[in-house]
Amino acid sequence: MGRGRRRLRVDPADAAGALPEAIAALSRTLPAGPSPETFRRAKFDRPEAASALWQLLFRVLSQLLADSASATPTPEAQAGWVKSVLLSQGYPRRGLAQLAEDGSQGSRELLLALAWLLAQEPLLERLLAQTRIRLGDEMPVCEIHSYTRGCHSDRSLGHLSVAETELLRDPEGGRQLLRRLESENARLEAALAWRCRELVFWQWMDTVLDVCPPETSQPTALPRRRKGRAGELELVARELQALQEELRAAVEARRAAWEARVGSREPEWNAAQRAAQEAVGRELAALRQAWERGGGRAQPHGPHRLMAPGFRLSATPGGPALMGPWVQDFGLSPQKQVDGTGQSAGSQLPRVQSRPWLCVPCLSQGWQEGWC
Amino acid sequence: MLPAHCSRRCGPLMAELRDALDTCAERQRQLERSLRVSRRLLRAWEPAETPAPEPTPGPKTNEEVLPPACTPCPQDLKELELLTQALEKAVQVRRGISKTGDKASSLKSGSIATHATTASAPPRASERKPPRGIGQTTTPASRLPKPRLLSAGDQTCIRRRPHTAKPGQSLRDQPVAPSAAPQAPEAFRLKEKGTLLQLPMAFRKAASQNSRLWAQLSSTQTSDSVDATVFSKTQFLQKMQMTSGWPSSGLSAAEVEAEVGCLQKASSLLRLRMREELTTDPTDWMQEYRCLLTLEGLQAMVGQCLHRLQELQAVVEQPLKPWPEGRLPRASLPCGGRADPIWGPQLLLYSSTEELQTLAALRLRVGMLDQQIHLEKVLMAELLPLVSTREPLGPPRLALFRAVHSLLCEGGHHFLTILRDEPDD
Repeated sequence: MGRGRRRLRVDPADAAGALPEAIAALSRTLPAGPSPETFRRAKFDRPEAASALWQLLFRVLSQLLADSASATPTPEAQAGWVKSVLLSQGYPRRGLAQLAEDGSQGSRELLLALAWLLAQEPLLERLLAQTRIRLGDEMPVCEIHSYTRGCHSDRSLGHLSVAETELLRDPEGGRQLLRRLESENARLEAALAWRCRELVFWQWMDTVLDVCPPETSQPTALPRRRKGRAGELELVARELQALQEELRAAVEARRAAWEARVGSREPEWNAAQRAAQEAVGRELAALRQAWERGGGRAQPHGPHRLMAPGFRLSATPGGPALMGPWVQDFGLSPQKQVDGTGQSAGSQLPRVQSRPWLCVPCLSQGWQEGWC
Repeated sequence: MLPAHCSRRCGPLMAELRDALDTCAERQRQLERSLRVSRRLLRAWEPAETPAPEPTPGPKTNEEVLPPACTPCPQDLKELELLTQALEKAVQVRRGISKTGDKASSLKSGSIATHATTASAPPRASERKPPRGIGQTTTPASRLPKPRLLSAGDQTCIRRRPHTAKPGQSLRDQPVAPSAAPQAPEAFRLKEKGTLLQLPMAFRKAASQNSRLWAQLSSTQTSDSVDATVFSKTQFLQKMQMTSGWPSSGLSAAEVEAEVGCLQKASSLLRLRMREELTTDPTDWMQEYRCLLTLEGLQAMVGQCLHRLQELQAVVEQPLKPWPEGRLPRASLPCGGRADPIWGPQLLLYSSTEELQTLAALRLRVGMLDQQIHLEKVLMAELLPLVSTREPLGPPRLALFRAVHSLLCEGGHHFLTILRDEPDD
């Protein structure tokens, strides 16, 4: 058995059954969740719990990262992939890297890995959101919207979507959709139940960590890093350096011109200058926000439900978005397509194509040298 | 086209290209599928789309789920509407009678007169109707051999218009016979009768429960228990870090990659902004000054980005933990923050078909550009190291330059011609 030398904290909640309930709720929310008994066995590093946890981690990670290339059937390949992904995401424990990949051991380490993933981000909510059933339309289909106006039981939606009309046409498909909806509802309920009970799970995970033998700090041979990883970094570095050069030249010229033009400083100039400085400072701060916040691209393209206007029977307080201004932002010409961050997808491509010349000065030099 | 020694680079490149082709093919299939579905909905709805199960068990057991529909004919619907109106009036009359005692004169036409007796004896009628309504539901199941469409004459509508059951039944005998034949002259058309559709109750319940649960899940509550949970999670993570045998500092590979992506984005935004400033001619001194300040500010920001990049380079060169082998999956956490909001489907109103067309066209274009940009980056990462080495120039090297230039800068569409310019002497 794996009990540590020091006396474990007595967990009254354990006896009360709150822990199995919490784990059961967690399991129902996860895809292919193992039983609470598997979790208990994993605490004591039992080998029979290992394969269920390898499979669970594989399923969860491959769904999270949407990596279809990882659909490898063999357990060894799955285990190797899981280890690689966890390491790349920064999993802190050495024990994972040392696990054999035949899938026969490591249940405690895998349990810790699962808890680590759960602790860092809203994992369950992300998994559920990724597989969320979409009942609305994202494809433009206005005839069906206009032919079914007034039909929806939900008063804030004015008409049926294609999926809903389809389920009326095809009862068998409708039954399947209903079953999928019901199973999603069950998972959502389990997620909400988990939220109420998860504290007891974290207290239990503390005891799992206590049970682990301490990790030795012997140095392991670090594998060589792939050259390719640095490639992207170097490209960005060269881009930035080229940009810096251009800016330096432009600034020097303009600063000199400005200094030459403005000989004496008049009092009212200073106030105006200060105002200009503040305004520019604000603009640049907004620009910085655009790349630091990140994911701006995702916003206009999130899931949405298309709806024809004038068919809604009641106004919703939040109000749906009007497509008109959004489409105008896109611009009728794709070249001017602008997303929230101000980056233009259309104009990025020609720029990317001219990048290689910036990055390889020797190339242009090569042309000049010609044949020698 | 590329020299032989470059062939070992082709493995990952080919994999990326294959991925791109697969993605496009998949997207095309999805579009074709939704077009098929939509077209099928707009045509006349065939009664025999799904293979017919046994008449009684199937539809009956799923009664509450999706009751079998029947194909109404226009005549049916007209009569049903007339009857509905009449009976609603009758209900009003009854209420008027029970209140004031005498108001029976508001009945309209002869066809409705037959129901006047039911109107004048409302309690008997109202308790007679529902059983017939319930009985009604089983009859179509046994009569109609195939599942039909849900429409006005069906169970769920019967709940709303409880009195239409009786007349509907007698009229239903007629449509059954002709529609049992392969060519159903009264097939359902969305265009004509779409507004009469109603979603089944079980589905509506499930859908509303679904949106309610999502709303609950997305709401962030603050309470003592939530705080305690957050605290214990943080403690757990810290303990994990402390019990590990590795030094705790350092970024993970995914974090480095995400930051490099952010810096790349920064680079393009800064360059765009610089271009804007350099191309606009200032009209007065104030604008000129602002332009100067902006350029200086951009310069400072580029310096900061470069500094950060050098730090990341150091992390990559000297990893404190084992670096993973192999290709990392493309998706990773968004830069700047880990918590994604849970995106519920936002309602998006459109006002014309032109807007929808523009939307569809733009989406396709964005998808294509994204794909192209990704491939371009992959190509650059693979091919640029080949041309950066300082090997002596010669015909094979020039051929390589030409090939790489064509792939990277011309999208493979054009090739440069290299001429040797002999001086005249």
